[in-house]
Amino acid sequence: MNRQPIVSLENVTKSYGGINALESANFELYPGEIHALAGENGAGKSTLCKLIAGVISPSDGTVRINGEVVKLSAPKDASERGISMVYQETSLVPQLTVAQNMVLGREKTFNSVRKVRNAARQVLQRLNFKVDPSQLAGSLSTAKRQMVEIARAVLNQAKVIIFDEPTAALTPEETDHLFDLMKTLQAEGVAMIFISHALEEALNHSDRISVLRNGKLVVTGNADEFDRGSLIHHMIGEELNEKMHVPAKRHEARSALPVLRVENVRMGSMVNNMSFSVFPGEITGIAGLIGSGRSEVAKVIMGHTKRNFGGGRIWLDGREVRYSLPAQAVADGIAYVSEDRKLDGFFDTLSISENIGLGWMAKFGRRALLAPLRKMRRISREWEGKLSIRSIGTDQSVLYLSGGNQQKVVIAKSLVQQPKLIIFDEPTRGVDVGAIAEIRQIVRQFAESGAGVILISSYLPEILDLSDRILVAKSGTIVADFPRADATATKILHAAIH
Amino acid sequence: MAERKSMAEAGRRKRNLLEIIVVAVTVALIVIFSVVVDGFATFGNFRVILSNSASLVILSCGMAVVIISRGLDLSLVAVMIAGATTFTIFINADMPVALALLLTVGAMVMIGLANAWLIAYVEIPAMLATLASAMLVVGLFRFAILQGEFLLLLSKTNPAVIALSGDLLPGVSVSAVVMVAALLVTWFLLRGSAAGRTIYAMGDNFQAARLTGLPVRTTTITVYVFAALAALCAGLVMSAASGAVDFRTVTNGTLLFEVILVVVLGGIPLRGGRGGVLNIIIGVALIAVLRNGMTLMNFTAQMQDVLKGLVLIVAIVADNYFNPRDTETDTVGDL
Repeated sequence: MNRQPIVSLENVTKSYGGINALESANFELYPGEIHALAGENGAGKSTLCKLIAGVISPSDGTVRINGEVVKLSAPKDASERGISMVYQETSLVPQLTVAQNMVLGREKTFNSVRKVRNAARQVLQRLNFKVDPSQLAGSLSTAKRQMVEIARAVLNQAKVIIFDEPTAALTPEETDHLFDLMKTLQAEGVAMIFISHALEEALNHSDRISVLRNGKLVVTGNADEFDRGSLIHHMIGEELNEKMHVPAKRHEARSALPVLRVENVRMGSMVNNMSFSVFPGEITGIAGLIGSGRSEVAKVIMGHTKRNFGGGRIWLDGREVRYSLPAQAVADGIAYVSEDRKLDGFFDTLSISENIGLGWMAKFGRRALLAPLRKMRRISREWEGKLSIRSIGTDQSVLYLSGGNQQKVVIAKSLVQQPKLIIFDEPTRGVDVGAIAEIRQIVRQFAESGAGVILISSYLPEILDLSDRILVAKSGTIVADFPRADATATKILHAAIH
Repeated sequence: MAERKSMAEAGRRKRNLLEIIVVAVTVALIVIFSVVVDGFATFGNFRVILSNSASLVILSCGMAVVIISRGLDLSLVAVMIAGATTFTIFINADMPVALALLLTVGAMVMIGLANAWLIAYVEIPAMLATLASAMLVVGLFRFAILQGEFLLLLSKTNPAVIALSGDLLPGVSVSAVVMVAALLVTWFLLRGSAAGRTIYAMGDNFQAARLTGLPVRTTTITVYVFAALAALCAGLVMSAASGAVDFRTVTNGTLLFEVILVVVLGGIPLRGGRGGVLNIIIGVALIAVLRNGMTLMNFTAQMQDVLKGLVLIVAIVADNYFNPRDTETDTVGDL
């Protein structure tokens, strides 16, 4: 292709706190092209899109639009250059009408309701969308809201439209309609990027496909050069396939009784008839895409989420339980290590010793009148040593620790409760490389001590490295159950994606 | 070792600069009033300030504990008046003082429990739950018990009233003793008790406290019952001093704002998780000195409100200037 790319990235890197979300990526987008991005969770697809849309700025490298070097520091910079992004969670203001949403941020000082509505109607009709411009955006279905976002991009004369998982919430008919529309826009010279977990969509509807893995853009090629197998192969990578047949570490006969049994648990639209068992002394890995209902079922088991509970039964050590408060679950010996430690993991104004000590107090000091401060400090020191938490003192605030040490504090806070079942939700997310190995070692040791361990992770190598048994969740249901020896990254990914 | 220690201090969260500013402003006000106002810098006036601020301190103790747990109790002043009314009616009916006190305490505990139940079990936001219970309590008491009256007079000859408004020892008033006792109990609750650990944890990160398995419901009950009892103590001290229970204290709202002002100016952020007894004392000191000085200078009540509002704005702007928020420390609701 000799034409000039409309967008090009040269050696672009984006790092968060020393971890590269995207590493020296070279990417080109040509006018009138539909370009699909494939990759596992966290491979860097969204990062790439957000860089082009100006939502985030690159740490290093050059972004060119129409050959001209640009610095996009806000979405506005990108939209002024004709780049629009259609988000996964739609970004319309529900209280405004469709027409108002379409001109949002570009209003003149005085707006005629009629003119705005007519302009919106013209675009909607040209795109063959059956949406009333004077309807409130909040009353629209997900598919229609997405249409409005696309119409907004067209109204703004977008030259580049980026779709973040556009088909995730659409029915098959709506999906077809969307791809027809993309073809129409393509004919008008609009370039499009779309992220999709449904590999068939990428193969059938795009001109070119780029595959990302671990923050690196590993391959770009014409869509007809790929098939499903080769895409998955690129997504997983060579080195992992070689490592796959590590022998399982423990072979003892599984004790007959599961420590936890979950049957047909439902919660809202996220958890849909989830059933599985967890055996003591084993690590049960749950793989799946983000949004497959894994964390949600963990929070239902803990009693943290009780709204929208749609039924189902849970047994702990053969006794049926249903907690309405995590305190009850903790008292019975369940612990949950949060996937987002800043949101609901640690107490950021409190010291390391208070953080770990509070975990101990929640289980063993419930009836105490006096604060067991000395005991809390002693326990904390002991566990700081066990998990080699590196700090300048047990009184240091957790906020100033590195990600890895913060995560160890959160884990210690749960381990001091000596649970018989512990749920690790993304235990190595946002953790420095050195600490990842240490944390995995902690997880393994804890299972070896005889407790049941659930490991929720979107990172396949982690699941494969640690688990004795691997479950795969998809749309709120467990769709596959592999013994350790049978599991491969390819099988898991085949089960997890549409 | 010394180096380690200073590093450890650097690692701890920066002390809230607001406290230092408020102390500085208080000292400056004391200096200015001493020079400008005759009779401000006297021992007699110091005692007046102390006894006038007794009920404010006691109320602030209740409010501070609630706010540190990331709650808010807008029913505090209503409960204060309700407690004083209940007690007054009992002793006016010649009930033995001990029994009257016991029954009143029981009634106030019930109100605290009702607040806590709405917040911890029904999961209504604390602001709405306590606002509703405040209106309910005031309406009920004025309608059913006072038949629409604003004032309930205490019998000046009742030994309980005499005792409460008098001196325990020569020069040491009962109200001052109750005030110090309230501060000590608050200090113990926050620093010494197991519930206190949970209160700070809830204020710091409620979801984390819940997921860790801390007894968040029981602690919410403790917090709101404590606030109701603090309100009762304040009500007894205040009505014994003035000889009447005045419902306008609730309906004009000034006292409730003043209590929140004390807590916030003292350096306890509304998002909770930080602060202690020292912060209450800092906050009350400023408000009490300001109130006393302005009264001595014959400022009208309206003018006093204007100045108090200005002080709050200046303190917050100064805090923002010296202690700018960044993404690391910024939290929704942080003040």
